[in-house]
Parts: sequence; structure tokens; C-alpha cells
Amino acid sequence: MNQTPPPADIEPPVVEVEHLSLSYATRQGIVPAVRDVSFAIARGETLGLVGESGCGKSTVAFGLVNYLGRNGQITGGDIRFQGQSLLGRTPEALRRLRGDQIAMVYQDPLTSLNPVLRIGDQLTEVLTVHRGLTPAAARARCLDMLARVYMPDPEQVLRRYPHQLSGGQQQRVVIAMALLNNPALLILDEPTTALDVTVEAAVLDLIADLRRDFDTAILFISHNLGVVARVCQRVGVMYAGELVELAPCAQIFADPRHPYTQGLLRCLPKLGRRKANSGLYPIRGRVPAPGQLPPGCVFEPRCDYARDACRQQRPDLRALTAEHASRCLFAEEIDAGAWVPAGDLELPPPAAPVLAAGPILRVNDLKAYYPGPRNSPLAFLGLGPQQFVRAVDGVSFDLARGGTLGIVGETGSGKSTLVKALIGLEPLTGGTVEFLGVDLHAPVAQRDAALIRELQMVFQNPEATMNPAYTVGQQLERPLRRFHIVPRSQVRAEVIRLLRAVKLDEYYYDRLPRQLSGGEKQRVGIARAFAGRPQLVLCDEPVSALDVSVQAAVLNLLLEIQREQATTLILISHDLSVVYYFSDQVAVMYLGQFVEYGPAEAVYAPPYHPYTESLLAAVPIPDPAVAQAHLRLEGPVPSPLHPPSACRFHTRCPRRALLPEGGRICEEVAPPWQAAGDEHHILCHIPLAQLREVGTSPK
Amino acid sequence: MADAPPVGPRRLGRALGVLRQSRLALVGALLVGFWVIVAVFADDCVISPACWTGARSYTPTPWLAVYSFSESVGPPLTGPAPAHWLGTDRNGRDLWARLAYGARIILTLAPLGVGLALLVGIALGLVAGYFGGLVDEVLSRLIDALIAFPQIILYLVIIAALGPSAANVVLAITLAGAPGIARLVRGLTLDLKTRDFVAAAQTRGEHALYIMVVEILPNASGPILIDAMLRVGYAVFAIGTLGFLGLGLPPPSPDWGSIVNAGRKFIQAGHPWDALWASLATATLVVGLNLLADGWSEETSRYR
Repeated sequence: MNQTPPPADIEPPVVEVEHLSLSYATRQGIVPAVRDVSFAIARGETLGLVGESGCGKSTVAFGLVNYLGRNGQITGGDIRFQGQSLLGRTPEALRRLRGDQIAMVYQDPLTSLNPVLRIGDQLTEVLTVHRGLTPAAARARCLDMLARVYMPDPEQVLRRYPHQLSGGQQQRVVIAMALLNNPALLILDEPTTALDVTVEAAVLDLIADLRRDFDTAILFISHNLGVVARVCQRVGVMYAGELVELAPCAQIFADPRHPYTQGLLRCLPKLGRRKANSGLYPIRGRVPAPGQLPPGCVFEPRCDYARDACRQQRPDLRALTAEHASRCLFAEEIDAGAWVPAGDLELPPPAAPVLAAGPILRVNDLKAYYPGPRNSPLAFLGLGPQQFVRAVDGVSFDLARGGTLGIVGETGSGKSTLVKALIGLEPLTGGTVEFLGVDLHAPVAQRDAALIRELQMVFQNPEATMNPAYTVGQQLERPLRRFHIVPRSQVRAEVIRLLRAVKLDEYYYDRLPRQLSGGEKQRVGIARAFAGRPQLVLCDEPVSALDVSVQAAVLNLLLEIQREQATTLILISHDLSVVYYFSDQVAVMYLGQFVEYGPAEAVYAPPYHPYTESLLAAVPIPDPAVAQAHLRLEGPVPSPLHPPSACRFHTRCPRRALLPEGGRICEEVAPPWQAAGDEHHILCHIPLAQLREVGTSPK
Repeated sequence: MADAPPVGPRRLGRALGVLRQSRLALVGALLVGFWVIVAVFADDCVISPACWTGARSYTPTPWLAVYSFSESVGPPLTGPAPAHWLGTDRNGRDLWARLAYGARIILTLAPLGVGLALLVGIALGLVAGYFGGLVDEVLSRLIDALIAFPQIILYLVIIAALGPSAANVVLAITLAGAPGIARLVRGLTLDLKTRDFVAAAQTRGEHALYIMVVEILPNASGPILIDAMLRVGYAVFAIGTLGFLGLGLPPPSPDWGSIVNAGRKFIQAGHPWDALWASLATATLVVGLNLLADGWSEETSRYR
């Protein structure tokens, strides 16, 4: 869909970066953040820059717009924009030369929008101030531009304030603002990272369309290989401040010629890969700090192919073919297909869930409401009817002992509230929960210690999961002492055993959280949750804040511990690939309700619930050769304060038209649970045969 | 890094590091340090255990205070001279000796009052912030009501009602300071209690008191410490004001505020020294505490 060939080489590229090096002055001295990066982007071309955090992707972008801050400087190389060098010029000359020709869009749209001005004022200001247009003409052009970024009801949007728009709409406004001056180069820095997968899909479609319509050169920065595969023609892979591979998009994914690129692709859970039939292979070690680079190839300490030559010289980025370049001495020899994992990485197959003992957790019609705002004029007196945010509204399921339940859904679907209600951090409004035969109605403070010990949680944010005031050892000791897991004298030994179980060395005992990386903190969080050897562990987005290579290691770790301790897991994630890889059962959640539930293989295959189908169509797959159905959800997620009547998905459902009268029944009658066999259930009015048919229809 | 030093020395090392990095904090520390040394060594009690038990009365240190603060040791109302460095007051008492002993009073009462205010304020703030709801509502309104009074009125009412004494001055500082501290701690607690490590403690079934004191409080200690340093400065002012208004410690106590008050009658008679020196002493101590707090907060926030 986006595989248009790059334009012929008659025109000079819009931007050429040659051997660019950038440094930051810090307390530790001059730190080289980017070294020897070269690339060019032609008109109408999208170049993707991928890599893990701290690899210098954003620094390159900031270098292009000369926004390095007070302590950053360009130490070598050249940037030519439309044939003219941008280096060695005064800021004023730079501004004139560049004019409005380079525009940049950041990850968080709210930081680019002024919260106290209406969208209309912010957009027209760009034109009235910089271009001298009359307000009326500027307004007309802004309306036109909003329409081109597929903004529904542009007139309305102009009158709104930024906080009145959804995240996807805000990002559209920012992109429209960037395009108002018709820039020659558009830099997008993680533009969809903060967005939900369905919104992300729509914004990526938009970016692909804009490149065609405006003939702009686009530099697209992302950590997500799937996103890059969808919108880019060429991809540059960055590692530790260097560009290690540069090739057309299809070749990067089909025939990567740098060990780092190969490693990145191996540690991604792809849709279609399951824990039973494939492993995730994390890259060992971690990205070196810019001040402490290895003497030879920067990737050598983590590379499976490293030889003596790699330690002695720093390889250059060399062309393998006209379009494919790699910074590896042995690029021709290494073949991703022939790679075998080192012996210690091979994962034994997971134990099958022990179903005989009956379900460990029984949830029946669980409801968790929050008190919402009061709209009555008496509200300021605390009177008037109380409204409720129906975060979880009637969820039922049984969980088999030793199994893994994955719950997917967009932001606001209520998946986090569900696990918080189970563990007792949020009060239950209704329904029953039975865990190990014990009623779980009481909040955690009133539960029995023996019960608490069996039900633990792994948290999402690695930065907040540990108390910054105490060492790792102190924090792991606490649950051991509290639940009397081992005798007092053996606590230290047990902590060290736990550290080893999460692949951390003994000396982490005395480390403070701020001395740990995100992945290490998450490991300690896992160790803490498993310290009491609980029967059920709830994992709330355990890997979503981590880099992909670390993510793979943490997922492997969870699998391994689960197998050793025969723990039951509930995994919440917005990442459908992770859930598919990891789970035995999958539940798809929308506005506080399960809409589809069943074994992972069944849920991820037709017949789909229309919502599941839309989610799967939206997932960015890190392989440009895979064709996905083009199914996009319209509009934002409705408020859980006033959920839509009957079927909650009817306001956005792309398959409603399959029913007679345009699906009037969806608004009037609550949908039934249809059994699709093998404990697979779908909450929808549309007959299963029809759902199967549209799900399997050619893409 | 593997063998990190135990917590105590590490804290001390960090404190010294702040002083080395921030010139502001260093100047503040020098000013405060000067008055602390003067207060401690005004007499030889500190170095002579016999004095602690009351077996022997104190003697002013000959190299610091030189004279007793309560005895007439020279002609009244003289200016600075080699015999009496800062001059003498209307009763012929040595002004430097009075300031030195006054520092002792102020540097005992102010930190004591603030310390008690910290205990009360931290307890109120933690409870209000952590439990929220009705508890928070009631405590916060109480705190607001206390803050709504101008502090000086609180002081005056308390001292006027209970009578001037050291204990009542401390009580007044505690009551006037606690609401502000409670409000600060409440705000910090509201933020910290949403962190995952607090949720982790809750899912471990920890007692609320454990979570507040062990999980939340250590992470709020930085801002509380800085606020407390500023508050000691305000307390020094407050004690001076009370002394000036005649509500401080009863004479012949060498309270700095009382010295200013006694000296103010002689300013126009050509003897400004009492008022001048005591005011300067108050000013340097308060400025020192403020600089220390400012420099400290600047340095610690830089590493965040």
C-alpha cells in the first residue's frame, strides 16, 4: 500500500546529512551523542530512523533543526538543506535560509499546543504572522488543511481548546499546523507513540497520504519497527549514536545485514508467534553509555558474531548494494535465517495448565464504578443525582490454574480497573469474585494475610514500581518478612536467590533504584511480586514502558518463573502481539465489558468480534510483506459515564451494515454471547457465519 | 558502586557536597554556624560536665562571651570599645555577652518549636493526604482556619492567654507552624500515594501507618527539610518580635527582641548600639538560614 518506488534521482535530495557528529557538554565532560551519521531524503520520500531509547535518533532530528540546547553542538560533518549547507551560519541566517521549510512534530501533541488559546487562533496565527495573510484568508486555509488531515467537523474544531480534543485529534491538529507552511522537510518524532493502536493506525494512514499529496520529504523517528514498516520507504537503524544499517524498508525486514537489526527483529513478539512454538531472543547486555563506548565496533560486546577484528577497528558504514549499507565487517556472511540461539537461551516448552483442580479464580458479573461529576445545579452543595463512571460493567470469566489470561483493549476500556478491583485496590460495586474458593469482596486492607500472599501484582511503570528511598535488598526483604516465607536468618539468602531468579547479580542487593535501568527495575518488581510464591499474579502492562530487547528478556523471565512456580497469570496489555505470544486465554475488552473471550488461537482467528477485527487490522506489523485488512475505527471511544445503549460498540462498529436496517438492533437490544466452539465466545448480533466470512475475506 | 557505604555517612557526604557546590548554601552555613558556635560556647558548661549536673555554676568563656549577661560590669551606655566590644547597656551589662547568651535562647527555642511543629504537621498532613475523603476534608478545613489567622495574632493570643515563658513561646511556634507544614506534607503525600510502590505496599496488605511512615515519608523528606530550615528563620523572627513586644522571656533574660526593645529608648539619646547589634544579630541568623535553604533546594533539585 505504501510501496511506491522512490522518485528518480534527477532532483537533488531535500536534505543531505554527511558524517554528522553531535556532542553534549555534561558534568562528565563532552559526550558524543551521535557519530558519523549520513543519509539523504528526497522529495516525497519517508525515511524511518529506528533504534532503542538512547541511541541518538532524536538528537539527529534536533541537529537538523538546530535545537540542540545550550550544551549541544555539531562537532563534525555537514547538513545540506536544499543544496545549501546549514553549518557555520549565524542563527539569523539559518532562520532565513530554512525559513518555514522544516517543520517538526513531537510525541506529545499537548506540548506543542498552547492550552489557553483556541485551536483556530493557534492555527491562523501561523499564517497571519509568518505569511501576512488576512485573518479571513488564513481561516479558510486552516479549514482546508484540517479537512486534509481528515479532521471531522473542522469548523467546530477551530472553536475548541486543545484539552477538548482527543489525543488523535490533537496530533492531527499539530500535523496540520506543521503542514500549513508547506514545508519541504517534515520531521516526525515518535508521532504515534502516545496514541492508542486504532488511533495510531489512522494517523499512520494520514502520514502516508500526506507524503503523496504534498510531495514532502519526511524523517520519521520511532522505536516501533511495526510503525516504520507501515509508513517508510527506507529505514535507517541507529545504535549507540551510529547509523548501523540503511536500506529500503522491505530489505531491512526480509534480509537484515547488521547483527543489531537482526537481533531487534528476533526479540519482537510477532502476531502469529506463540510461546509454545517460538521463543523471544533478547539481545544480551545493554546499550553502552555514550561516554563508555567499546574500542571497536559499538555493537561488538552484544554481538553473536563478534570476532577479533571487530574489537580492533571501528567499522564504517559501507554499501553492500546500491541501496543497502551496513556497518558490519562481515555483513555479507551473516544470515538472519541461519542464526541459531546460543544454548542457554533456548526455552523449554511451557507446562500445560493443570485444569483438573478446577478454576483458581471465578469472576461473575463484576462491576466497578467510580463516582463521576454531578451535573445538577445543586452540585456545588454536594447534592443532585450521582453519576457513575462504569469502568468495569459486568465481566464474568473463570481462570484455570496455571494458565495465563491476556486482556487487551484500548485506553479507557477498564482493563486496569478490573485487575485493581480483583486485587482490592478499588472497591467492587457489584458481582462476585471467588479466588481459591474464598470470596474476594473485601478491600485489600481487610483481607487475610494468607490470602494477600497468594494474590500479587506486577506494575506498569518501572520508574515508580520501586521506592527510591530504599535499596533493592531492603525492598525484597519486606514481603519475605511480612509473609514469613523463610526463617529470619535466611532472609538475605532468599533475597539473593530471588535476585538470581530474575537474572540479577548478588551485588544488586545494596543498589538504590536510581542506579538501575528500567529493565532492571522491572525485574526487581517481578521478584518482589513472586517473593511470596503467590498462586495468582496480575501483570498490568509489565513491558510496555521497556525497550524491545529488554521487553523480550522480561517476558521470557515471566514465563520461566511462571513455569517454575506453576503460577497463574493475568496479563494486561495494549500490545496484541505480546498478549498473543504470552496467553492461553484472551479476553478483548471494550468500555468495561468483555466482547470476545476464548483460547488465544481462536480469538486471533476468524470469526472475530468486529472490535477484535479492527484492533488486529490496526496493529503495526514489523514486516512490510504482510497484508492487513484495511479496517479503521471512526470517532473516539465513548465516555464510560454514558456508555452507548445495547451494544456498546455500535457507535464505532465497522460491520454494523451487515445487519438488516443498518443494524438498528445493535442500538436497541443487548447482543447475545454467541458460542463459536472450543470455549470461544463473541458478544455480537451478527451471525457467526457472517463474521467468519468477512474475517477470512481477501485483504 | 557494588559496596555502597551505609546510609548515614552517605547523607553526610551529600550534605557536604551541597555546600561545596553552592556558594549560597556555604555563606548561609557560615552565618548560621557562627551563631551556633557562639551559642554553644557562650559559657564553659558544654566542656565541663560538673556544670550540667548543677554542681558548679557556669562561667562565661573568657575567649568568647567574656562577661556574664546579667551582671553590671562597666559604666552604662558606652559605645564599642576594646574592653566591651559592642558597648554596654543602660545597666552597664556587656552587650556582646548578652547577644551570645541570647543566641543560646533563640537557637534552642526556634528549632525546638519547629521540631514540634514538624511532628504535628507531618502527622496531620500524612493522615489527611493518605486517607483523603472526609478525614482530609475535616483536617484541611481545620488547617485552613489556622492559616487564616495572621501568625502574629496567633502568637499574641497564645502568649497573652498563657503568659510569657519559654514553654509557651515554643507552644506558640508549634501551633503557628504546624498548619503550614501539614499543608505541604499533604500535597506531597497526595502525589506520592499514587506511585506504584505505594500500591505494591497496599497489595502486600501493609498497615496504613507503615505505608505513611516507611513508604511515603522518606520520599517527602527533601522538601520538608528545606521548608523546616525556612521555618526556623521565621521562628527566630517571631521570638524576636515577641521579645520586642514584651511578651518574650522575662528579664533579665538576654532575649534579642527584649534587647532591641530596651535599647530603642536610647536611640535618640545617641546610644543606638543595643537596638543595632540585636537587630543585626537577628538579621544575620535569619538571612543565613534562608540562604542555606535556598542553596540546598537549588542544588538538590538540580540532580532530579
